[in-house]
Amino acid sequence: MARSKGDKIVADEATASDSQARASGEKALGLWGDTWRRLRRNKLAVVGMCIISVFLVVGMATEIANIAGVNLAPYDPNQVDYKLSPTGLGSPPSLTHPFGTDYIGRDIFSRCLVATRISLIVGVIAVAIAVTMGLALGPVSGFYGGAIDAAIMRLADVFFAYPYILFVLLIMTILGPGFVNVFLAIGILSWATYARLVRGQILSIKTMEYVEAARAQGASDLRIIFRHVLPNSMAPIYVSMAMGVGGAIVTEATLSYLGIGIQPPNASWGKMIADYVTYFQAGRWWMLTFPSILLVVTVFGFISFGNGLRDATDPKLKE
Amino acid sequence: MLAYIVRRLFQLIIVLVGVTIITFIIMFAVPGNPARLLAGKDATPAKIALISHNLGLDRPLYVQYYKFVVRLLHGDLGQSYAVRQPVMQMIKQNVGNTAQLAVAAVLIEMLGIPLGVYSALRQYSFWDTALTTSALVIWGIPVFVLGVFLEQFFWVTLPHWVNSWFGTMWTGLPQTPGRNVWLIFPGSWTSVGALVLPAFTLGILEVAYISYMQRAAMLEVIRSDYIRTARAKGLSERKVVLKHGLKNAIIPVMTIAGIDLGALMGGAIVTETVFNRPGLGLMIYNAIGARDLPVVSGGVLFATLVYVVANLIVDIAYAYVDPRIRLGE
Amino acid sequence: MAERLLEVTNLSTQFFTYAGVVKAVNGVSYTLDRDETLGIVGESGSGKTVAALSLMRLVPDPPGKVVDGTMVLKGRDLRALNDEEMRAVRGNDIAMIFQDPMTSLNPVFKIGDQIAEAIRLHQGKSKREAWKMAAELLARVGIPDAQSRVKQFPHEFSGGMRQRAMIAMAISCNPDILIADEPTTALDVTIQAQIIDVVREMQAQFHSGVILITHDLGVVAEIADKVMVMYGGRTVEYGPVDGVYYNAQHPYTWGLLGSLPRLDLAEKTRLTPIKGQPPNLLLLPAGCPFSGRCGYERPECRDNWPELEIVGTEHGVHCQIPQAERLELRAQLPRFKAQVA
Repeated sequence: MARSKGDKIVADEATASDSQARASGEKALGLWGDTWRRLRRNKLAVVGMCIISVFLVVGMATEIANIAGVNLAPYDPNQVDYKLSPTGLGSPPSLTHPFGTDYIGRDIFSRCLVATRISLIVGVIAVAIAVTMGLALGPVSGFYGGAIDAAIMRLADVFFAYPYILFVLLIMTILGPGFVNVFLAIGILSWATYARLVRGQILSIKTMEYVEAARAQGASDLRIIFRHVLPNSMAPIYVSMAMGVGGAIVTEATLSYLGIGIQPPNASWGKMIADYVTYFQAGRWWMLTFPSILLVVTVFGFISFGNGLRDATDPKLKE
Repeated sequence: MLAYIVRRLFQLIIVLVGVTIITFIIMFAVPGNPARLLAGKDATPAKIALISHNLGLDRPLYVQYYKFVVRLLHGDLGQSYAVRQPVMQMIKQNVGNTAQLAVAAVLIEMLGIPLGVYSALRQYSFWDTALTTSALVIWGIPVFVLGVFLEQFFWVTLPHWVNSWFGTMWTGLPQTPGRNVWLIFPGSWTSVGALVLPAFTLGILEVAYISYMQRAAMLEVIRSDYIRTARAKGLSERKVVLKHGLKNAIIPVMTIAGIDLGALMGGAIVTETVFNRPGLGLMIYNAIGARDLPVVSGGVLFATLVYVVANLIVDIAYAYVDPRIRLGE
Repeated sequence: MAERLLEVTNLSTQFFTYAGVVKAVNGVSYTLDRDETLGIVGESGSGKTVAALSLMRLVPDPPGKVVDGTMVLKGRDLRALNDEEMRAVRGNDIAMIFQDPMTSLNPVFKIGDQIAEAIRLHQGKSKREAWKMAAELLARVGIPDAQSRVKQFPHEFSGGMRQRAMIAMAISCNPDILIADEPTTALDVTIQAQIIDVVREMQAQFHSGVILITHDLGVVAEIADKVMVMYGGRTVEYGPVDGVYYNAQHPYTWGLLGSLPRLDLAEKTRLTPIKGQPPNLLLLPAGCPFSGRCGYERPECRDNWPELEIVGTEHGVHCQIPQAERLELRAQLPRFKAQVA
């Protein structure tokens, strides 16, 4: 067990919990067992996990229903019905339309539901693209060093040099608006974060004894990377992924709000907020409020879970 | 220290070269030929070819890149397709307003430092929990959502209450920003007033982020060995925290704040759009709508340059505070 | 009779963690005279560091708390002092050197600043004077070119030099008691002896009482006058160095000595490690914490903590096994066999 020389008390207590596991006959808690125990004690992280779970379940259910060609929502989210918006200002929440209807009579609840699915897909796929790119380039950079490392890291520097949202805007201007372009742009522009993280982790782990030992046993580079290095360097990457999904959802909403993300008539939280601002100012609060709340709550879920995970996996904060 | 600055300047040049290459590729090497955009929808192929030639688009890419860089060095970011104005001139007109907004937001953002320190020193107390929770909630609010709600509250709801309770005529905070380009805070109260809400919107989000980070940094520092050493010397708790703790804890936050400048600039763009406030953001937003590529890329390039230079300044300040940085990594 | 500086009686420090109460220090008593060196010996988790931090009242609270006992420094019970009075003691009457010199110095302040700080605080010296003293102190602890070194930052110092600087900082106000918490653990072997020598010289010059915390019995044998052996938060054996080394009474002390190489014996004896793991501090038995690992354990050991048994001049042991039997058992051990022969 790696133990910091510095804090004797921490070391003492670590010994205490180690031997507790041994003494009570249970298997010593693995890294993740310990992380889980610490995560559970963090109320905000638990709230975050609950939010994420609901978000995932709702989003996936809608997606599966969508693939199966079934509409899970009570109404067709894009169904215009002027009877439901007699004055052109929508109608307030009611029993049949719990979130109310918008200015052309579309059901806000159904639109929010579909938007959940959009956010989920954008968040997950964008992060998946970024992580895949990061996991492909980061290890190469960190493990081989030299010219390859320099080239990849300078490229990462260049990507970091742009203010992120502006870079996304620029790419979106070229690619043009649309659902696929949104997650492509977000995904491709976020690789550098993960590549840097993985590289840093690998650099710090590369010289540790167990990697030396594996090398001494004649393990191949790939085997060392995937079997010995990556599993031990994933914690900060998981943290970044959790935060990254939240960030991607915000970016998608921002792009849609600015009119270059999800295109009408499809619903997205950001797009709905952009569309309904004027009605909000006219006192028709429900159109704007529900998608805003869903967006903020979802992003909060990812951020508080990500922060909780960071605290729980940070060896410096072990208690 | 000087060696460090030289090294950082060298890195800066490499990064800037990379930025120009990528921006160039995005602007010129992608489908959606700018000549066609410039020529309009129903231009003949001959006309497109002529414009192409005039723009130098038929030359080899490296020649085009060379010309692009030469123009950049002369401060020429090209012509707007939509407004037929040099992009640089448009930037000059708008940068003052955005700078006002950014500087005001940074000033507000600094509030996060004392809040985070307070939180860390009173870990697990009621106020710590309250501050941390609200920081996390606010952190996740997209700029435009907060902007929309604050705008509604301060420009519609609050004036309505004030007017119905006090019977006065008040229309809310002023909305017209100052046109005074190079002064950060122009003298007119109207324009300062117009700054309040956008700056607060942008600043409060950063306060949340900074205070959270400052708390984490401070918590780590007050558990460190050298703080124990300081206590063992018999220093008062105040001195331990303010002298030995804060200087160390502020270092990582400075870096974060530097990196966060990028988010701030992005946020400024969105904020300007929400509040319909003239500035670089609104300029870029309008250009996106018009598919006015030179303005978008020129604006982004300019903002990137500012961001990179600002980061350099933060890094040098960082090295000044932390002696470890000055010598090697 | 030397001046009695410190008398610690029945000191108990506990950590109140989410998993339960950790009795890190449990009824520990010892004394320290001027010019005397006390070695506190034990493995990680035995409570030796917490015992020292308790004396400084620097146990992190929460979760830690001194729950019982008295710590009388020249007639004043440190537990009864208020925070301000305690601050005047820290660094002035009691100073401490920590384990890891790499992290114990503040990276953003100059060495001189960090040494001068205590001098200015406790002796009311001007900044100039304090810096001048800091440079003198650095020279005294063996740092060459102290005049210019004093203006450097910690990262410009090597590990050994940082520890010297820590010692300079600790002795700057001529403390009555100098606590050295494993001062050499983090250093190269070649530096270790030098640092111990510096501590010794400083003691000779300033006439402090030294508490040396270590797991290195060799170092203790070299410089300590008396030894306290700790295990699981308890003192298991306490006495003069010669008594504890040549007439060890507690099975744990035997174990420690058995794992120490000796060059002075003609006959080769095998090093014998202590079997088993350090105890879980959350689940300590009411009786002897070493029971379970001891090897000579009796049924009553787990539940009864024996009274101090005096076995020699100022030499005491806490063990259930009757002395006669204990000596017989000890004679079986390879190390002590050699000694008998």
